[in-house]
Amino acid sequence: MSTEEKPATAPRSLAEALRGRDDASLAALLRSRPDLVTPVPTDLTQLATRAGTRASVVRALERLDRFALQTAQALAVAADPATYEELLGLLAGDDGDPAVAAALPHALGTLREQALVWGGDDRLRLVRTARELLSPSPQHPSPTGLGPSVREATAGMSPGRIQEIVATAGLPSTHDSVSAVASLGALFTDRTRMAALLDQAPHESVEVLDRLVWGPPYGQVTADPAARLRWLLDRGLLLPTAPGTVVLPREVALHLRGGRAHRVPEPVPPPVEAATTHRPQVVDATAAGQAYAALTTVEDLLKDWDEGGPAVLRAGGLSVRDLKRTAVALDVPEPVAAFWVELAYAAGLLASDGEADERYAATPAYDEWRERPAAERWTRLATAWLAATRTSGLVGGRDAKDRPLSALGPGLDRSVAPEVRHRVLALLAGLSEGAAPVPGSVLARLRWERPLRGARGGVAGVAAGEGGRGPGGSPAERGPGAGHSPAAEGAGGSPAGGPAGDGDGDDLRSRLARWTLDEAEMLGITGRGALSAHGRALLGAPAPRRPEAEPEGPGDKLPVHHRPAPPPVPLSPAEQATAAAAAARLLAPLLPEPLDHVLLQADLTAVAPGPLQRPLADVLGVLADVESKGGATVYRFTPGSVRRALDAGRTAADLHAFLAAHSRTPVPQPLAYLIDDVARRHGHLRVGAASAYVRCDDDAVLGEILADKRAAGLGLRRLAPTVLAAQADPAGLLEGLRAMGFAPAAESAEGDVLITRADARRTPPRSAPEPVPDGPPVPDDTLLAAAVRAVRAGDLAATAPRRPTAGDRAGNDGLPRTGAAETLATLQAAVLTGEALWIGYVNAEGAASQRVIAPVRVEGGFVTAYDHTADGVRTYPLHRITGVAELADDEG
Amino acid sequence: MNGPLIVQSDKTLLLEVDHEQADDCRRAIAPFAELERAPEHIHTYRVTPLGLWNARAAGHDAEQVVDALVQYSRYPVPHALLVDIADTMDRYGRLSLLKHPAHGLVLTTTDRPVLEEVLRSKRITPLVGARIDPDTVVVHPSERGQIKQALLKLGWPAEDLAGYVDGEAHPIELREEGWALRPYQKQAVENFWHGGSGVVVLPCGAGKTLVGAGSMAQAKSTTLILVTNTVSARQWKHELVKRTSLTEDEIGEYSGTKKEIRPVTIATYQVLTTRRKGVYPHLELFDSRDWGLILYDEVHLLPAPVFKFTADLQARRRLGLTATLVREDGRESDVFSLIGPKRFDAPWKEIEAQGYIAPADCVEVRVNLTDSERLAYATAETEEKYRFCATTATKRKVTEALVRRFAGQQILVIGQYIDQLDELGEHLDAPVIKGETSNAQREKLFDAFREGEINVLVVSKVANFSIDLPEATVAIQVSGTFGSRQEEAQRLGRVLRPKADGHQAHFYSVVARDTVDQDFAAHRQRFLAEQGYAYRIVDADEVLAEG
Repeated sequence: MSTEEKPATAPRSLAEALRGRDDASLAALLRSRPDLVTPVPTDLTQLATRAGTRASVVRALERLDRFALQTAQALAVAADPATYEELLGLLAGDDGDPAVAAALPHALGTLREQALVWGGDDRLRLVRTARELLSPSPQHPSPTGLGPSVREATAGMSPGRIQEIVATAGLPSTHDSVSAVASLGALFTDRTRMAALLDQAPHESVEVLDRLVWGPPYGQVTADPAARLRWLLDRGLLLPTAPGTVVLPREVALHLRGGRAHRVPEPVPPPVEAATTHRPQVVDATAAGQAYAALTTVEDLLKDWDEGGPAVLRAGGLSVRDLKRTAVALDVPEPVAAFWVELAYAAGLLASDGEADERYAATPAYDEWRERPAAERWTRLATAWLAATRTSGLVGGRDAKDRPLSALGPGLDRSVAPEVRHRVLALLAGLSEGAAPVPGSVLARLRWERPLRGARGGVAGVAAGEGGRGPGGSPAERGPGAGHSPAAEGAGGSPAGGPAGDGDGDDLRSRLARWTLDEAEMLGITGRGALSAHGRALLGAPAPRRPEAEPEGPGDKLPVHHRPAPPPVPLSPAEQATAAAAAARLLAPLLPEPLDHVLLQADLTAVAPGPLQRPLADVLGVLADVESKGGATVYRFTPGSVRRALDAGRTAADLHAFLAAHSRTPVPQPLAYLIDDVARRHGHLRVGAASAYVRCDDDAVLGEILADKRAAGLGLRRLAPTVLAAQADPAGLLEGLRAMGFAPAAESAEGDVLITRADARRTPPRSAPEPVPDGPPVPDDTLLAAAVRAVRAGDLAATAPRRPTAGDRAGNDGLPRTGAAETLATLQAAVLTGEALWIGYVNAEGAASQRVIAPVRVEGGFVTAYDHTADGVRTYPLHRITGVAELADDEG
Repeated sequence: MNGPLIVQSDKTLLLEVDHEQADDCRRAIAPFAELERAPEHIHTYRVTPLGLWNARAAGHDAEQVVDALVQYSRYPVPHALLVDIADTMDRYGRLSLLKHPAHGLVLTTTDRPVLEEVLRSKRITPLVGARIDPDTVVVHPSERGQIKQALLKLGWPAEDLAGYVDGEAHPIELREEGWALRPYQKQAVENFWHGGSGVVVLPCGAGKTLVGAGSMAQAKSTTLILVTNTVSARQWKHELVKRTSLTEDEIGEYSGTKKEIRPVTIATYQVLTTRRKGVYPHLELFDSRDWGLILYDEVHLLPAPVFKFTADLQARRRLGLTATLVREDGRESDVFSLIGPKRFDAPWKEIEAQGYIAPADCVEVRVNLTDSERLAYATAETEEKYRFCATTATKRKVTEALVRRFAGQQILVIGQYIDQLDELGEHLDAPVIKGETSNAQREKLFDAFREGEINVLVVSKVANFSIDLPEATVAIQVSGTFGSRQEEAQRLGRVLRPKADGHQAHFYSVVARDTVDQDFAAHRQRFLAEQGYAYRIVDADEVLAEG
């Protein structure tokens, strides 16, 4: 309790209390509540103010372990300020509880360090915001299940009624309500007198109290309560809160509970129980086997994707179909396939290629990784997994917007994941060597450590400063802690009101923990559920956050930090490298040594009774099909696989030599025969490309051609005595041969002699062009009539007598000219009056014309009008109108 | 960590046979793992749910299985696999079939949700009756087999504790005069009797008939024996009269020609499956007596209607005998659920090593088609191709050369196509036994062959099953039923019976190179190779040169 300061005078405020703390203690506060440092407060008053803000307090409360939280809850229902003894009484009850008494100083220390509680042991004060968040109210029932105090509950009651209650309870009447309530409260807190009072209570009334005692403290009553209720109401053992509702006052409940604020105080973290204990050697060997399997799985995955991996979805990630396909290829369920894919991604071994047609592929780092020793390859995967915020367990689910979450896709990052992984593995490290935990007990422990959903999914980079660091016994020494009811406590226990209530935080933590257990097994960090020696080494220093979690295994030779390490990744890169190297050293001897031989059998199989050296495995992978994988590999030789090897450039002799060299057993006769049989036929048919050929029944002539230097450019090759293949095209070949003095004839595909005259070239079918007439067609009557009308209208426009405007602004071209404002005003006026206007108009081609229009509408820079010139409704952009002029009235 | 066993991720187990602990390991895993392949160095076993449940039925628990794997495994066994095994085995016995004093046959559960789950299945609903209490439901006695089959398919195998009817007692004793049951035969009888019902897998020539006789002597009750054909029925009768206290009069034959029902009745599958106007008139045979034991010879050939009927016979003890559980129709699991689990199995090579069956030299002779045959083969219709290449003239020459080489020994020439066999018979001057040969004629020829009066016998596939030709030392197979593996096993069995003079047995397959014949041969021989019979491949030219 280094944080505790004993100033000469008691502090009067949190700021003052902070002022009294030493630098180390302030640093501890800032470390555990990093949100207080951004931005750095100017002085302690500001720090105190910020530490008292609701958001910050909520965040701090969420990071408390269950007992620290219970302590805070107890303080919230205690008097303000409270003494240490009062607090202890609330937590341990009247009978006392040694475990609580032992754990309380530590919990209080945590609260003090986090600036949630200040003041000396005689005047403990919970910061106001925390008190508001944690104290019971009808809206936010406290997890303690306690109701308001007598004073709070009687606040609105008439003095007469209070006096009645006091009298019925057997107390002397007082002058005023305040003293009456005080004496009633004193009665309720006095165990002896209270017991005497309750002894008189009718049996049914006691039953009512029993129902309410552990909360919720509110009950419904009718307007005319039954006798058993009336008895209680008359004595203030139940107090009305609202019409029809009564509450059990806090003091009465505490009396009935024997003084305890919580039904089950949980001063001791629930121990992580060992389900079974295996021999450490078995654990390490199983984990090592699984570690090796992890390496081969990742290699298989990327080998499968070697020639064009799956495409990247437009939204990012791997399509469900590709994931399924990969799962089939790896022979694992889809969630497991998603895990391997994500692992390879996290380790930087695969990525999208960034091409236009985006696909996933192995990175250059993969080739480098492949060349490393197996143990190093493993640590690379394991460290990547430990630190990754991406969680493959979410794959297949949906995000908040109901979009599917795909492997390698967006939305899989959960910033608490690394912390949960470390914590889970640290808990495993706390068990004795070779012990596999009961998964439920791990989850219960995690819930104890962060009862208020502890971590919100999206809060990046802020992980828990672990509350506890005080010395304490191991769980075994403390004996089995009080039983716990995490579900009831955890679920109901959201007194902070959850300002950022995304609701699934607690759930996420448990899910992450479960995934961690599964994934650690797949990765070979654990074996048979128990942490392996190399897994322990990999965790390195931070594992034993609490002394009881201190590894006892001989595998752990690393220093133990008693101060909380900086979250969330507790190791510096250098320490990480050291831990990884240590893990690799431990793992290396356990990994199977690659073999240089196989066993060949007469059923045309080869069994590699262990992992094979890479060149051998590569060649065998071509020469035979893999039939079964695992500790050993079973290969089957088929004509197809042998042909594949021959295609890859091996000869039968090569293959015989290869098998003889690597087989421990004599090569079975059928296998040798198979290779010879396939080789006999391999390459029997030859396929090549040639542009043209020369054939001649007289092979001497062909010999002559080949011998001619001028033939060099034709790329001739003799395929048979009477056939030459040429790389030159038929025309070039003909020309070349003619130049050499031969008289070749061209041959069609059918072998007929082609006549030299080239075929006339033809287009595909085409239709003949439409004739273009000399002039326009003769117009019909309708068209003519329309034309006439148009001409008339145009004429009207051109000749309409215009009102003389201020200064004749018509340009030289005869178009009316007005300013934009005037144009607009005139047009709008014309809409109202409905009269026709004479406008000048310039069309899109720049041709000017005059029109007579009757505007209908002017809006959005356009005028819609009946155009007398065109005899129809037209729309004109205002900016193309050069000007307007009214028509002379007489013309109308 | 240097055990003989390697556990693969696909749940196959690889056993290195040359390892010093191999025998112990084999015994440890045999109860739950099926031997799949037994070539010379590494045997492959497979762990299947069926196998695990059989192990549970035989009284092994998951812990033993896991222990066996962990103890003998060379590499650490993946945790997930162990968990999976435990989970699978845990599914057995949640349901059991019991005899209820008031309600007859009932299905009860120790895990109510499981019962709810299966009762919701469409397959189960028609098979059950009233619910007596939350954990018990009545099952129609005639559906005992059906429900077991259906539950197995649902993955909740029922433990059958309803017991067996004893059947009508009939005294049967083995007459062990000058012979005795071999140790493995005794073991097989014991395993079967202990298990109640099930299948005994023994190689041809290993004396399956005696296992049958031993079981009858154990049951001492009326017995119905189902065999493949009449010749086989006669041989069973002959063998039973010789080896047991039964007399000719006590054994009836129920076949196309005779319809005798006696305390021990031997019926053919063919007569049982004869169908007239949509009904099987001879299935009544099952009810004609209160049989205490039903024996299925060559159970892998059990025809489908008999399957159906077997499902109704669950209250009687059933013994299946076979050389191989491989069914070309893939209905192995029906054999398991209806006849019973495999009760005894011994690798061929092992019995051979004990001297009970003759060692065999398996050779495949590859013949080349002549150029004109190749052209004709290439242009033949797909369905004619096999016939074409299987009956090439070159095969005849090779067969003749082989017969010449083994002149004086007892030689069987086995083929599929009658005209090919006729032609061979003519050239070899040997009698031909085919479908149209009368039973009397067949028996006469077999006797002559047995006595050594004739050395060469040409047989069609009618002789595939259950004929006993103890003195055959050479079998030459010129064509077969496409790629049938069990036929290959049967044919090899023809020469595996121990020889009086200790001659090595020879098994020749004459195969046309680069044709479907070769592909089929590869398929069949893979089975032999997996049984540990390595074969050599030689070119026809070598044979012809020697011959």
